[in-house]
Amino acid sequence: MQHEAVADLLEGLTGAARPVRGAPYGNYRLGSAYDEMFDAGAAVRPHYAELDAELLTLAPDELHRRQQACELSFLHQGITFTVYSDKQATERIIPTDLLPRIVTAAEWNRIETGLKQRIEALNHFLRDIYGDGRVLKDGVLPRSMIYGSKHYRREMRGVQVPHGAYVNVCGTDLVRREDGAFVVLEDNLRVPSGVSYMLANRDVVRRAFPDLFRAMGVRPIEHYPRELLAALRALTPFQEDASIAVLTPGVFNSAYFEHAFLARQMGVELVEGCDLLVNDNVVYARTTSGLKRIDVIYRRIDDDFIDPLIFREDSSLGVPGLFNAYRAGNVVIANALGTGVADDKAVYAYVPRLIRYYLSEEPILDNVETFLCREPASLSHVLANLDKLVVKAVGESGGYGMLVGPHATKAECEAFAEKVKADPENYIAQPTIQLSTAPTFVDGGVEARHVDLRPFILNGEKTVIVPGALTRVALKRGSLVVNSSQGGGSKDTWVLSS
Amino acid sequence: MLSRVADSMYWMSRYLERAEHTARLIAVKLESMVEQSREDADSSWSRVVAALSAEDHVPAVPDAFAITQGLAFDRFNPSSLILSLRNARDNARQVREQLSMEVWENLNRLYLRLQPVAMDGVWMHHPARLFRETLQDLHTLGGVTYSTLSHGEGWYFLELGRHIERAQLVSRLLDLHFGAAAAGDAPKYFDWLVLLKFCSAFEPYCKAYTAAIRPEKIAEFLLFDAEFPHSVRFSVDRVCDALLHVAPGAPPNRRAAVERLAGRLKASVDFTQIEDLMRGSIAPFLDDITRQCEQIHEAVYSSYIAYGAETVL
Repeated sequence: MQHEAVADLLEGLTGAARPVRGAPYGNYRLGSAYDEMFDAGAAVRPHYAELDAELLTLAPDELHRRQQACELSFLHQGITFTVYSDKQATERIIPTDLLPRIVTAAEWNRIETGLKQRIEALNHFLRDIYGDGRVLKDGVLPRSMIYGSKHYRREMRGVQVPHGAYVNVCGTDLVRREDGAFVVLEDNLRVPSGVSYMLANRDVVRRAFPDLFRAMGVRPIEHYPRELLAALRALTPFQEDASIAVLTPGVFNSAYFEHAFLARQMGVELVEGCDLLVNDNVVYARTTSGLKRIDVIYRRIDDDFIDPLIFREDSSLGVPGLFNAYRAGNVVIANALGTGVADDKAVYAYVPRLIRYYLSEEPILDNVETFLCREPASLSHVLANLDKLVVKAVGESGGYGMLVGPHATKAECEAFAEKVKADPENYIAQPTIQLSTAPTFVDGGVEARHVDLRPFILNGEKTVIVPGALTRVALKRGSLVVNSSQGGGSKDTWVLSS
Repeated sequence: MLSRVADSMYWMSRYLERAEHTARLIAVKLESMVEQSREDADSSWSRVVAALSAEDHVPAVPDAFAITQGLAFDRFNPSSLILSLRNARDNARQVREQLSMEVWENLNRLYLRLQPVAMDGVWMHHPARLFRETLQDLHTLGGVTYSTLSHGEGWYFLELGRHIERAQLVSRLLDLHFGAAAAGDAPKYFDWLVLLKFCSAFEPYCKAYTAAIRPEKIAEFLLFDAEFPHSVRFSVDRVCDALLHVAPGAPPNRRAAVERLAGRLKASVDFTQIEDLMRGSIAPFLDDITRQCEQIHEAVYSSYIAYGAETVL
C-alpha cells in the first residue's frame, strides 16, 4: 500500500505535542493532527462525552480486564495470523483496541453519499474503458494511462457484466485531514478485506461496553453478510436458487478467517480452486454426490491467479477455464475482472474529474491533493516544492521509486528532480498527510493514536453501505502506519443514529 | 457437500478419536503403574507404546517420564497426543464454515491449553491429571458437537471417521493382548483389567459379565457387544449407518461399491463365534477387521471424494 510506506518514513513528524489532562489521559498528547475526541482547546467533543464519562469512572484494571477478555475472545475464535520464526509457527491475534471510534450521524451521511457518488462514477468509468472508451476519446484521461496499465485486462473488452456493476464489493480508505474533513486515500476495487474485523470488533466491544452501547444509539452492522448475499444474488436471474460460492486461496492466506466467516454467515459454500472444474464453459464444484453447478463466485483471489489458461499460468490457486465460462455468461465473478485499472495511483488523481464527467456533479469527498507531473503547471509546482512533498512513481509500489521531500537531502532532491523532468508522466506528488488521532487504550491509560477509516460498499442492483467501518489504528506512538503487519491494530467504529 | 470438506470432516474426527485414545491410554497407564511390580509395569508400557505405534519415538528403556513425553508431546511422533490434536484442528480450520462456533471454539481452546504445556510441570504432582482433563475436554467437545451441529452429511462424515478409527484402535489393542497370550507371554489378571480400562470398559463389562475377569469374556465384550460404544461391533454398526447417510445424491453404482464392503464387515462381526476365535483364530480375525476398515476407507475416497471428474461428466 503506497501510503503506508510514506507514512512509515513520516513517523515522528507530528508537531508540538501537549498533554490533555489527568488520568486516564495522562499521556494523551494533542499534536497538529485532528483529534477525534478532543477539539483544539482540549475540550471533549460532544459525541465523545459519554465515552469520556465511562472512562473517568472505570478503574484502570477494569479496562485492562475488558481488554484481555476481548483478546481472549479473538484467540478462541481463531481470528489470528501466523508468524513464522525459525522453529515454530506461532499464531498472533490482530491487536484490537477496546475503545470505539465514534462517527456522528452528520459525518456519516456525508461519507455515505460521497462514497455512493464515487462508486457510481468508478463503475461508469470501468464500463466505459471496457466498452466504447468515450472518456478516452474525449481526452479526459490519456489513453496510455489506461491501455498501458498492467491492471487493464484486454480480455474484458466487450464482456457484459450484470447491472454494469464491475465493483460489487469495495473498501475505500478514508483519512481525516487536519481541518477535520474526510478525504479518500485509496479506492480498493479489487479484493478488499477487513470486513470480518469490523464485525468481530463490534461483537467484542459491545460486550465490553454494553450500557454505553445501548445509551448512545449506535447503528447496527450485523446485516452486512445478508446485504452481501443479496448483492451477489442480484447478479444472477436465479435469485433465491442461485448457487453461490466464496473462492478462497486457502487456509494459508492471511484473510482466510474472513473468507470462512463470510461463507458461514451467508450460508454459502467456501471453495478453493481445486474444488472447482469447468466443463463446456460451465463451472462445477466437486461434491460427494457428484458435480454441482456454481452460478456466482465471490472471489477473494487476485485477477492474476484466477485462471492459469488466461492469466498467470503458474497459478495453482485458480480454475482452468474459469474465464471462458465467465465470458460465456455461465458464471458471474464478483468483483469483475480488471477493476484494478481504476484504483491505481494515476487514475486515483483523476477520480474527481471522472465524477464531474460522468455525473455532472461536484465530488462530495475530496481526494488527497495530488499533483500530476504530466501537467506542466503541476510539474513546476512540484519541482519548486520538492522538499515539502512526497513524490511517487506511478507504476511502482511498496515505497520504491519514491522521494519523501521532508526527509531527503538537497542532493537527493536534485537527483530526483532530474528523474521527474526526464519522465514527468511517470510521477505524481502529494503533500504529507497527518491522519487524525483517536483515544486508544495503551499501557493502562488512554493515549492518542493515528487512525484511518475503511467503510465497505456493496454494489449489485443497488448500492448499500452498512453504517460502520474498519478503523485501523497505528499502535505505536506517533506512527502513521496502520497496517496490521507493521504494528497496526483495529477498532470498532460506532456510527451514531442521530 | 464438497468432497474436500468431507475429507476434512472425516480426518478431523479420526484425529480426535486418536487423540482421545492416546490420552486415555496414557492416563490409565500412569494411574495403574503404581499398583504394579516394576517388571509388570515395564511390559505393559511396551504394549501401550506398541498400541500407539510409537516404537520409533520413545526410548526402548521403560522410562515412564520419557515415554509419556514421547507419546504426548513429541512433535515428531505422528501419533502423539499434541500432533493428533493439531491435525484435528488444522482440518477443522479447513472447514471452519461448516462447524458450529461452539465446536470450533472448544477444539481450539483444547489445543491452545495443551500446546504450551511443559512435561516437567505435568510430572511434578499428579501426572495423570492433565490427561484426565484432556479426556474430559474431548468428551465435552463430543457433546458440544452432538448438540450444536446439524446431524446432516457432515455429521455422518464425522461419525464415519471416528468409528473407522475406533474399530482399528480397539482391534489393535486386542491383538496385542491376545497375541501376547498366544505367544506364551500371557497378560496377568491386572493387565486384563487395564485392557478394559484402556477402552473405558471396566464398569460396562462388570454390568454385563460381573466382575469375574475372563479373557474370553473380555474379547467377546470388546468385539461383539452391540451396545457398548467402544466395542468393535458398535463401531461397525455406526460406520454402516453413517454410510447410508453420506453422499445422498451419488450414483447407485458407486454407493453399492461402498455399501457392499460395509455389509461384509458387518457380517464378519455379526456372525463370528467367540468360541472359534478363542481356539486360535483371533489374530487373523483382528487383522481382517483392520484390513476391511482400510478397504472401506479407500472405497469412500474413490467413490465420494477423490473420484475422477471424467467419470461423472
